[in-house]
Amino acid sequence: MQVKPTNQLINTTPVFEVFTEDEIEAIYYSALRVLYETGVRVYCMEGVDLAHSGGAIVEDVTEDSALVKIPPWMVDRARATLPRKVTIVGPDRKYRMELYKNQIYFGTGSDTPFTIDPYTGERRRATYEDVKNFARLAEALPNIDFHMSLGIVQDRAVGTYDRWQYLAMLEGTNKPINITAVDMEGVRDQFEMALIRVGGKEEWKKGPIFSLYIEPVSPLSHSKEVVEKLLFAADNDIPFVYTPCPLAGATAPSTLAGTAVQALTESLFGIVLSQLRKPGAQVIIGGLMSNMDMHTTVYCYGSPEMALLSAGYTQITKWLEVPMYETAGCSDAKVFDEQAAMEAAINIATAALVGGNMIHDVGYLEQGLTSSMEMMVASDEIIDMVKRILRGIPISDEDLALDVMAEVGPGGHYLEHDHTYERFRTHIWQPKLIDRRGWEDWVAAGSKTYGQRVHDRVIEILETETEPLLDEAMYKELRRICELADARHKDEELDMKMFG
Amino acid sequence: MSNILSEISAAVIAGNLGDIADLTEDALDEGLSAEEILNQGLMPGMDHVGVEFRAGRMFVPEVLRSARAMQKSMDILKPLLVESGTRMVGKVVIGTVKGDLHDIGKNLVAMMCEGAGFEVRDLGKDVAPEAFVDAVKEFEPDIVGMSALLTTTMRSMQLTINALEEAGVRERVKVMIGGAPVTQDFANQIGADGYASNAAAAVEMAKQFVGAA
Repeated sequence: MQVKPTNQLINTTPVFEVFTEDEIEAIYYSALRVLYETGVRVYCMEGVDLAHSGGAIVEDVTEDSALVKIPPWMVDRARATLPRKVTIVGPDRKYRMELYKNQIYFGTGSDTPFTIDPYTGERRRATYEDVKNFARLAEALPNIDFHMSLGIVQDRAVGTYDRWQYLAMLEGTNKPINITAVDMEGVRDQFEMALIRVGGKEEWKKGPIFSLYIEPVSPLSHSKEVVEKLLFAADNDIPFVYTPCPLAGATAPSTLAGTAVQALTESLFGIVLSQLRKPGAQVIIGGLMSNMDMHTTVYCYGSPEMALLSAGYTQITKWLEVPMYETAGCSDAKVFDEQAAMEAAINIATAALVGGNMIHDVGYLEQGLTSSMEMMVASDEIIDMVKRILRGIPISDEDLALDVMAEVGPGGHYLEHDHTYERFRTHIWQPKLIDRRGWEDWVAAGSKTYGQRVHDRVIEILETETEPLLDEAMYKELRRICELADARHKDEELDMKMFG
Repeated sequence: MSNILSEISAAVIAGNLGDIADLTEDALDEGLSAEEILNQGLMPGMDHVGVEFRAGRMFVPEVLRSARAMQKSMDILKPLLVESGTRMVGKVVIGTVKGDLHDIGKNLVAMMCEGAGFEVRDLGKDVAPEAFVDAVKEFEPDIVGMSALLTTTMRSMQLTINALEEAGVRERVKVMIGGAPVTQDFANQIGADGYASNAAAAVEMAKQFVGAA
């Protein structure tokens, strides 16, 4: 008989914190001051007028932009109608993300110009087929909860590739998708495709099947296209990710606290404008928060600052009660190598431990310029491993196992005990690709390194036949929207080197 | 195959300790021989468990549970098998060598050998060479298995083989060794007949030695 502890604080999940509540408040109230006193530049007069009618101060008006200053009470008012929970589902409702507080979901990253060919290892331009294959991988991997393209479709017309990307993703996966759009026309076309896929506007309202990625420009700028996308998303009940990508030391202060304040200011403007347009508009904030490498000038995806700042920012979003768009599973390595695995392991563990909601960019290499199927498969197992850590160490009487210890006694063993049989599968994590064999068995199995085993798994998934997710009629209908868009843009030359 | 035999196989695979004894009795009541129950009920079940284990779909505690189920059936069948003169798969004497108290690996091999149908005499841990010799003389095993975890106690394996030779029983048995620091090279060096790097491999090798693989 054990003594029952009372008044005991239990951590089933280990806790990782960057900021105290006082520090979070210091950052938040600093952002309010920046939004009120420094202001943000808005390049969309419709947006400027909306902010002004809602109480904002508008100054320094030019032909196409104005400086908008938002008093703190406007932020309070916006927060009162801002949804604390956002749900995004897959087309058949089987997969779903309920984004709030500590719910974690991992997903891939979006438009990379390059990809590593899974068969030749060559770094080349991404195609429709690549994007479809990445989506098939997302469908097959248990720890990928939502999907982004992981490639710009570059074997289609320049101005319409986003629709083709969406079609390729819908062909490959039934998981929730975070889309990008080349312009407003691209948003409308993809929204039309989604309505066809899900069965109309009412079905969409019951559970949107994509969120829209919108990226304001640091420092403190909101382009015409960005604001128009925001307004359209608010009008049509489309959840949207409003995330800046500040570069500490270049487009934001080199101090991480300063970068956090600026990023928050940028996202708060999106929150205020969206709630003015339509109270209840669904916003997810966060973004890629990292530093510029002061030697190469690249935007770091694998730096400790990226992991740390993203984690700190996640705490701020939790305090604000708004879903967070976190970043992990990405690296600055050029191929899936030791650096890639190391950086992904660090940033995945950090993002998961702090509890970011929608954790994107799994599969990114080379600062998001190149996507890698191997990186994606390897990260899936890292996520699985980290999820075991998140399950923590419960301490119930059954877990403490004193009776079992008394029964087995000194010198006995637990291998055959019911206590072991009933619990080992949940308490002891079993890897899929990580190798734990002894030397001889490893040699007998071909002496394969982790990289080689990951590669084999990629090929295995690609070559496993799967049922088509879209029936013939549905596919044709969706494809027709892409083709109509192509027809409208037929004069634009197909230029494979547009991003080169 | 008779329905009851496939039920016995399924009970072994599921590690169903509650039903296996009744199923065995039922099979005997139906007029099946102990040998048929062993070879067409229990062994196919354990073979399937082996396949699932190697494929990474079943794990050690589950394999042991299946082995235990088989044992419960064997407790009923063994006297009948002896009576009818049916040869068992083989006999194994096993122990952790002198000076070493680490016995989890040895226990694992012993339990998995039982699961494969071997009769196992487990001498325990810190087993002196003479004790191995006595057991070989008395129990007449096909295989002697030795385990060591410490590099310092690996020498006891050599001393045990020497003792078997001096007692004139070395040729009657196959000597298998294992344990974390043990290698194939070491096995060759001390004149062991076999080395296995894990419990499942040890069972496979034991089966080969007795011609049951």
